[in-house]
Amino acid sequence: MLAGCASVQHVPVAISPATGHAALVPKSIASEVIVPLATGYQRKLPAGSFWTMAGTIPQGTVYRRHRDVFTLEGAHVHEAYLVVEQGRLVGFYLPAESGFSPQQPSLPITLQE
Amino acid sequence: MKLMKFAAIGLALALTGCAATGPKFAEAESAAPALKADQGRVYFYRNASMLGAALKPAIQLDGIEVGNSHQGGYFYVDTYAGSHVAQTSTETTNKVSFVLDKGETKYVKTSVSMGLMVGHVVPELVGADQARKDLSELSYTGAKAAK
Repeated sequence: MLAGCASVQHVPVAISPATGHAALVPKSIASEVIVPLATGYQRKLPAGSFWTMAGTIPQGTVYRRHRDVFTLEGAHVHEAYLVVEQGRLVGFYLPAESGFSPQQPSLPITLQE
Repeated sequence: MKLMKFAAIGLALALTGCAATGPKFAEAESAAPALKADQGRVYFYRNASMLGAALKPAIQLDGIEVGNSHQGGYFYVDTYAGSHVAQTSTETTNKVSFVLDKGETKYVKTSVSMGLMVGHVVPELVGADQARKDLSELSYTGAKAAK
């Protein structure tokens, strides 16, 4: 109950926007990923859902939900993008806050064209 | 028994009075102005669930009151591209943060959940497909202000 009220923790980060082909071609998630959040909530990344590269941050490559929205929920709700590094979901980029929220532990994820 | 009947009728009238009564989405949309080139559009809506029907808290966008969360109602605000925060308050304040691109449309659904003393009206971002389905049954309530 209390964990559900925790804020989504994040640190400031600068994104380098994606350009060219990578920014246009959506990728799909190969198999479902269940993400237990530190706030006590849980998020499901459905198999076959499409994501478009939004850019890069020092923690990894940032993917935005294609023609849909994805959010993190804690005390408040935040629009969020995935951050993937070497085949693992390492956290989330919060575009409104220009922040990075780490996912601990990181989770395996496969994005395919 | 008669008292029960009167109470039931009174309750029905009271709840009916809580529902939004403006034009339906299809009708209101045909009269909606075109979006300016440097702006995006944010729809705010609430389904017609009877739960907490009497609750009509203000909705703020970036600290400015833009309308109210009405049972079965919706409105939209055209605003600049960039980061935004929408919030509602009853006994607690609930916020949703998001970015809006030029020409983009975002959808914020408000829903009533249980609170300690008063229900909470919680905003969330909803995808376009789901939102357009929901909106088709709702009534336009009008925005209080637009940037």
